[in-house]
Amino acid sequence: MPKTASKSVAKTLPKRFMWTGTRAIAEAVKLADVDVIAAYPIRPYTGVMNSLAKMLADGEFAAEIIGADSEHSQFEIAKHASAVGARTFVGSSGVGLAFAAEPIVVTAMGQLPVVAMAGCRALDDPGNFGMEWNDVLTFRDSGWLMSWAKDPQEALDMILVAYRVSEDRRVLLPSFVAVDGAAITHISAPVEQPSREGVAKFLPPYKPQYPLDPASGPITKAQHIAPSLIGPELRKVVDNAMAQAREVIREAWRDFAVFVGREYPPFIENMYIEDAEIALVTMGAYAKDAVHVATKLRQEGVKVGVVRLRYFRPFPQGELAEVLGKVKAAGVVDFSYSFGSADSSSVLFNEVRSALYESGSHPLLMDFMFVGGREPSVEHFEQAVRLLEKGAGKGAVEKHVWWPTLRGESP
Amino acid sequence: MSERPLIRAVRNVSSVDLYTSGHRTCAGCGAALGYRLLLKAAGPKTVVLGPTGCMYVANGHQFLSSPYSVPWYHTQLGAGGAAGVGTAAAFRSLMMKGKRKKEEVNVVVYGGDGGTGDMGFSGLSMAMGYDYKRFVYVLYDNESYANTGIQASSTTPWGASTTFTPTGKIKRIGNLRMKKNVALIIAAHPGVRYVATATLYPPLDFINKTKKALEADGPAFIHLLVPCPKGWFTDPKYTLDLSRSALETGLWVSWEYENGEFNLSYRPEPRKHVKEYLRMQKRFEHLTDDKIEEIERMTAKEWDYWKEMDEQNRMIIPWVAPP
Repeated sequence: MPKTASKSVAKTLPKRFMWTGTRAIAEAVKLADVDVIAAYPIRPYTGVMNSLAKMLADGEFAAEIIGADSEHSQFEIAKHASAVGARTFVGSSGVGLAFAAEPIVVTAMGQLPVVAMAGCRALDDPGNFGMEWNDVLTFRDSGWLMSWAKDPQEALDMILVAYRVSEDRRVLLPSFVAVDGAAITHISAPVEQPSREGVAKFLPPYKPQYPLDPASGPITKAQHIAPSLIGPELRKVVDNAMAQAREVIREAWRDFAVFVGREYPPFIENMYIEDAEIALVTMGAYAKDAVHVATKLRQEGVKVGVVRLRYFRPFPQGELAEVLGKVKAAGVVDFSYSFGSADSSSVLFNEVRSALYESGSHPLLMDFMFVGGREPSVEHFEQAVRLLEKGAGKGAVEKHVWWPTLRGESP
Repeated sequence: MSERPLIRAVRNVSSVDLYTSGHRTCAGCGAALGYRLLLKAAGPKTVVLGPTGCMYVANGHQFLSSPYSVPWYHTQLGAGGAAGVGTAAAFRSLMMKGKRKKEEVNVVVYGGDGGTGDMGFSGLSMAMGYDYKRFVYVLYDNESYANTGIQASSTTPWGASTTFTPTGKIKRIGNLRMKKNVALIIAAHPGVRYVATATLYPPLDFINKTKKALEADGPAFIHLLVPCPKGWFTDPKYTLDLSRSALETGLWVSWEYENGEFNLSYRPEPRKHVKEYLRMQKRFEHLTDDKIEEIERMTAKEWDYWKEMDEQNRMIIPWVAPP
């Protein structure tokens, strides 16, 4: 190819970079032209703030960045900046999210479209850099939208979509974009950088209806109330917003494909599911391992598929019921725990089971709990498929909650 | 600091109230009166953040009326500093990026002693380290968690009876912690551009200090003593008298600290005996005369420091042997 031609081809192709998840998310924040960023260090999410601080120091874009005194202050800063009309970015991991619990809750109740990155990490004690979902899932009932990325590319894309969905006046709820600690935050992967023009078309500027700004006149927000007067109605507003988010999310991913050029199924991504008899159900980075194992076992004739949830809130109940209604057995690959819950199992497992309860036919369900941060291997996933196969054959299992990475736990 | 003429006479104070009817604070509430003076001084181009506390719960109303004629937003009990920074950062960013018209907007936090001296201390300290202009944090100090039923905070004075420090058959004193001097600690922040203490009397003092705080070239802090009929067990009609008596007995010290220079705003000479102030309040009624004399001794000793500070125009940390 002549030199000039190769140049022009290169021009039309989107730029690709080797970026970690945190670096990719920083790029999304820049592309979204965020106005106020609130930072506080905790691994593994911190890299995003390091990247943003450097971008601002180099003048790549303009924003106020505040190094707060705690995660509590950090999330309060984002909340209040959002109330004025700024587009905001914040984030944390592990016990940092626990420390910020109070502002996290009121941000949703205040209907402020803050976008936060959660770098999933095990909660203390003891300190543990391992990956678990319990830090983010602590807030599953709080009115935050929650999406789970599988790689740095999707993390970048999910941040852009989070702003679009959160700021939509039919929604006005904050968003967590969860990325698995280490597996995404610290691992570089090829990432296509969306064009500024595409993002500008996809993501209109944030214009709150009632900003906390004297130029818009006086408003009183979140005044103390008598519970009998509007208590239930205030909760219903958030509930309605969460319900409306389902359609807004679908629209947003449709438009994302048009303006930015990458296509995703909005709520769940299925692999090998058409003729599957058993399925692994999971979220996040390890979905790739599940697909790897499924690909391998398919060659042996095992009819296994993989279902990956892209959103945990709103929970893709209908989509899951439809796809899991067709398999004989499904195993939830779960990085959370819910001690003392039904069957003393995990959070995602309980959600999946609850979502299937009313559907006509549902599969035998098993829970594979990868907790405590010990890295799973493909063998664990393979084992899970074997156990599911056995259960599907018999139509029952004696033990349906497994801790595959626990010492002494073997089938 | 750009000088804006200070108000010399009460008749020159704005007749417009931006903190107005529609609340249900106690009769004689000092904190409510402080709110009124604060917003008279700040004017309409102001955003107010209200951490949880008396001025949150008592200003809320079962009929959803609001006493605020300026934009107002609740913030969590320990979040006053962060709320102020977030709000100020948003205005600066939006103005810098041309997303909002450039103009001066005041950001005011009005937080109680529990939310400021205890729970929100870390966030307040953070807020005073940044360089946001027209940002003032006012601590309204009624010397207890009054809204939840008068529990001691770190600014409750020694000897006060509260529901967490009640007097009893074997515990005769009440609160055994000495009052934390929040303003002195804030003055130790290199980023803070104006620190003052005040009380409701004389009213022009607090109004003018608020104006100076907003005109300072960075974050500012005012520690405002507000008598509390509910928590101090006083007649509502004595609220202003208590403010005045606190100054005259030297139990409240009114001062300013700016550009490294300390000045007393009021010097009680001769200083009245502390019993005049303490005996007006039932929260101290259990104290025997010798305990009152102990407080008088501590106050006299502390005033040696305040006078020295005033004469040298320098900040010195007063130290008084505990009782």
